[in-house]
Amino acid sequence: MMKKAVELVLLLLLLFFTPHIMGKRYSPPGKPTLTRCRSPEKETFTCWWEPGSDGGLPTTHALYYRKESSERVYECPDYHTAGENSCFFNKNDTSIWVNYNITVVATNTLGSAFSDPVDVDVVYIVKPNPPEKQTVTIMEDKGWPFLRVSWEPPQKADTRSGWITLIYELRVKLEEENEWEMHLAGHQKTFNIFSLRSGGKYLVEVRCKPDHGFWSEWSSTSYIKVPDYFHREKSVWILLTIFSAFIFLILTWLLHMNSRSLKNCILPPVPGPKIKGFDNQLLKNGKSDEIFSALMVSNFPPTTSSNYEDLLVEYLEVYVPVEQELMQEESKDLHGGCLKCERSTSDSDSGRGSCDSHTLLMDKCGETKEEGRHTDRASSRMLTEAQRHQKGWEKDTLTYAHGDMVSPDMSNGRVKTWPSVFSPLPQYSSNPLDKQSSLEMAKQHCLSTSSCLTQPGHSTKEALGPSNWDFCLGNKQPHLLHPQTQVGRQLQAHSEVNISNIGRKQAPAGLQSPALRSTEYVEVQRVNEEDLVLLQPVVSGCGRIEGYPQMPKGKDYSKVKGVDSDNMLLLQREVMEEDWCPGVDQEINGGTGNCYTSSTVNTTQKPTACIHTAMPVQGDMALAMNGYVDTATMCTLPTC
Amino acid sequence: MERAVLLLSLLSLGVSSQPITDGQRLFSIAVSRVQHLHLLAQRLFSDFESSLQTEEQRQLNKIFLQDFCNSDYIISPIDKHETQRSSVLKLLSISYRLVESWEFPSRSLSGGSAPRNQISPKLSELKTGILLLIKASEDGAELFPDSSALQLPPYGNYYQSLSADESLRRTYELLACFKKDMHKVETYLTVAKCRLSPEANCTL
Repeated sequence: MMKKAVELVLLLLLLFFTPHIMGKRYSPPGKPTLTRCRSPEKETFTCWWEPGSDGGLPTTHALYYRKESSERVYECPDYHTAGENSCFFNKNDTSIWVNYNITVVATNTLGSAFSDPVDVDVVYIVKPNPPEKQTVTIMEDKGWPFLRVSWEPPQKADTRSGWITLIYELRVKLEEENEWEMHLAGHQKTFNIFSLRSGGKYLVEVRCKPDHGFWSEWSSTSYIKVPDYFHREKSVWILLTIFSAFIFLILTWLLHMNSRSLKNCILPPVPGPKIKGFDNQLLKNGKSDEIFSALMVSNFPPTTSSNYEDLLVEYLEVYVPVEQELMQEESKDLHGGCLKCERSTSDSDSGRGSCDSHTLLMDKCGETKEEGRHTDRASSRMLTEAQRHQKGWEKDTLTYAHGDMVSPDMSNGRVKTWPSVFSPLPQYSSNPLDKQSSLEMAKQHCLSTSSCLTQPGHSTKEALGPSNWDFCLGNKQPHLLHPQTQVGRQLQAHSEVNISNIGRKQAPAGLQSPALRSTEYVEVQRVNEEDLVLLQPVVSGCGRIEGYPQMPKGKDYSKVKGVDSDNMLLLQREVMEEDWCPGVDQEINGGTGNCYTSSTVNTTQKPTACIHTAMPVQGDMALAMNGYVDTATMCTLPTC
Repeated sequence: MERAVLLLSLLSLGVSSQPITDGQRLFSIAVSRVQHLHLLAQRLFSDFESSLQTEEQRQLNKIFLQDFCNSDYIISPIDKHETQRSSVLKLLSISYRLVESWEFPSRSLSGGSAPRNQISPKLSELKTGILLLIKASEDGAELFPDSSALQLPPYGNYYQSLSADESLRRTYELLACFKKDMHKVETYLTVAKCRLSPEANCTL
């Protein structure tokens, strides 16, 4: 108490004295403040304060405290242990569960300043030191690693006797992360951390707190690296494998389902050869000789001399409509039944395409049936049509004839007959008699195939002729006009026309010998752009009956002499012994033009079916384009 | 009370066989109970302090220095050294007395919040437990005369005379003292328990 009074007096004196000091502007010290008091183990404690302004003068600080229920003032026993501006209370001076009233005083020559008093109960200011001896180890649990962290309580804290009970907390983070992962450990001194990243580097820190107190500082960091463990990667690989296998199965199944269409898409089937007579097996066997021999038609190119007539007879195919046959029978009695081109179901091989137009046929047939026979006019009309058509032919058939040579495989199979036709012609012997007979034979053949034409009775033929002519002509025209018609068909048409013409001619004329008259002679008019040899009936200018085309007399250009090197079919002119047409010999090239044109004008009269023969300049040779040269005599008319 | 009966029965059964084990278990129970009480006291005090204004707080601080806690007359070790020096029995007896001293005054703690209503019965139970511990640890015959010798002052009178002006101050004191005493009991019991336990590190 006395001490305290003395101190107070001293302070007052100081305060009085400070104003007397002149000179510098000094002031009493500022008010200090107690910042904190801490006890690390609940046995000792330390208080720190913050001094105020010193006022320019050296200032001293003092700490005074008072215990509860006691008026005695004590001064801090130790100012140095804890550092600057601190006061350390050792064990002897520390009482638990006792309130301390602490004050700090700053003093300089001018005055002193008291801080605000602070009540301290040691129990509630405990802040232990951080845990010590921290260790982190890696341990394994069924192949999965985990961290085991262990530590020791701070040395000063007496947890063994139970004087202080601590709870711990640790925090973990990966090296590259920013966020710590907190774990409360309670009273235990070890802790396990699971769910580690393979190959990661971890940082671990621990701190502690008494049951009623403050958290300690974090301990020093422990570093640990987790080894790479295979499980995670393995699971990923397993998943990937399963997934890919699944996908693969699905794809396989899809492929299997669509195998056929895919096969066709990726590997389209190679088209096989579709040549008649072409044997795939032979090809596979690899024997070229056999293959080509199979392809070869026996008689083409013509290598053997065969009988002209036989061949002609054999292979010349004349299409006979079924109705014509019927009519023919009728016409025997009736003299002129209506010939109808039957409705032909054309097959690809035969040459009977010309009258295949159903509608036309029907129309025409219907008409003629009703009408019966045609009048001469009608026939003449038709004839003129034919003539006109013939006029349409050009002179330069030669050129065409040069170029085109029917190959066996032309005209889509119809030409099967043609080669045979070609073959004998060049080889034709020059025996006129033979020729004639052959011609006759040919004619007969020609006519024989056509039911209407094979009749010995010419009259019937004649009678049938016009109608036939009509029909065929009518049918022919559209065919001729159509550029698409096949060669064979065209020729067939022509041949039919010619045949019918023959018949027709025979009908009115009735002059010629049956053998001769029964045939229609065809000459190659021209070859048009589509390699069509346009034939025209050969009409003899002599002995013509008005209005009717007459049997061609005179020159006979129906015989094929041969095929020259330029693939030209050379026709041989024949001279008919019976009739001579004046001015027969006409060179085709250009000469017949006049004849022709005039003939077109006149409808009926002159059988202006001038003979246009596409004949080569080199004498007496006629080119037949496709070789269909009928064994008809060809006669060139000078003027019609 | 049921718990006390249970404790008693267990004690009577276990006294003969393994008193230490039972003692440890009882200690654990007692320690946990007192810890809970201490937490309650802390919460009460902090709530009260937060409700105060700064001016009142300053006044109370000053006043508090001059007043006493009702349990000041009970002489208890105030530092670790003294505590270590005291025997288990002494610690237990002091604890018992402390708890007992608060058994009645805790009722006068300003009611309203639920925790305050629960304090008094908990104190009673704790007291019973401590008594059991006393009886279990040593021959309680020695203790009883001590306890009887300890003449407890009529505590009831001390707190009943409350004036309106001093109510706030009283509440503050009550709460502060209660908190302190609970911490004392907790500390004493923990030390006693650790001393009885065979392991070195009892505070695991």
